Amino acid sequence: MPQTNNNNTGQWAIRLPNSLEELPRLSALVEEVCEEIGCDMEMTMRINLAMEEAVVNVIDYAYPPGTVGYMDIKATTVGKRIEFVIIDSGTPFDPTKKEEVDISLPVEERRIGGLGIHLVRQIMDDIKYERKEGHNVLTLIKKI
Amino acid sequence: MKTTFEEKDGKFVMYFEGRLDTAAASKTEQEMKVLYDCEGHDIILDCSKLDYISSSGLRLFLGLLKTARNKNSKVLISGMNDSLRQVFAMTGFTHLFDFI
Repeated sequence: MPQTNNNNTGQWAIRLPNSLEELPRLSALVEEVCEEIGCDMEMTMRINLAMEEAVVNVIDYAYPPGTVGYMDIKATTVGKRIEFVIIDSGTPFDPTKKEEVDISLPVEERRIGGLGIHLVRQIMDDIKYERKEGHNVLTLIKKI
Repeated sequence: MKTTFEEKDGKFVMYFEGRLDTAAASKTEQEMKVLYDCEGHDIILDCSKLDYISSSGLRLFLGLLKTARNKNSKVLISGMNDSLRQVFAMTGFTHLFDFI
């Protein structure tokens, strides 16, 4: 159930520490939001994947290795539109600036990195980044 | 995420069961090391019980493929479900691997 619910809108907010062990909490949030809005299993899995990739970027890059940092994840649904916002107070990092991965390259030339943000771009309909008052604010939008 | 390894008809077969997300990737990487000694063996990655894969899992598959090619071994993927095939298609992995 959304934490607040008003006609066809829902809102959720959770705070996660920067640890991979917290990914199940992220999955639980995504599943709840997707169920509320009526996504099928496949769509839920895809949105979960995009969110995992975005959150793992924060875990990997936002805070110095070995330090505990937090991110706030807000989800809002309006009709068939989901908006996730991931906010952290770590080092400035704009994932939208990473260059596109060339997925047509043969094996020898394929680079190991860059797939995470690529998947976010493939799956979500819109991605926006803002640096605001010492925070990274990443907005991911999906219309189902 | 659970992996099982066996040698079958001269091939190295690894069965993946569960979710290969970022949290599971490190342990899975260790378990996949046995596949890297693949001179003279083709490799089958059995994904019939693989429910989910994220970029760290894709990286492990790509890393293995690069090594296998240098050793003239093929990497075949079996039993992959449609959702995962879509993830492979999104990342251009469909044309890198052989599917059985």
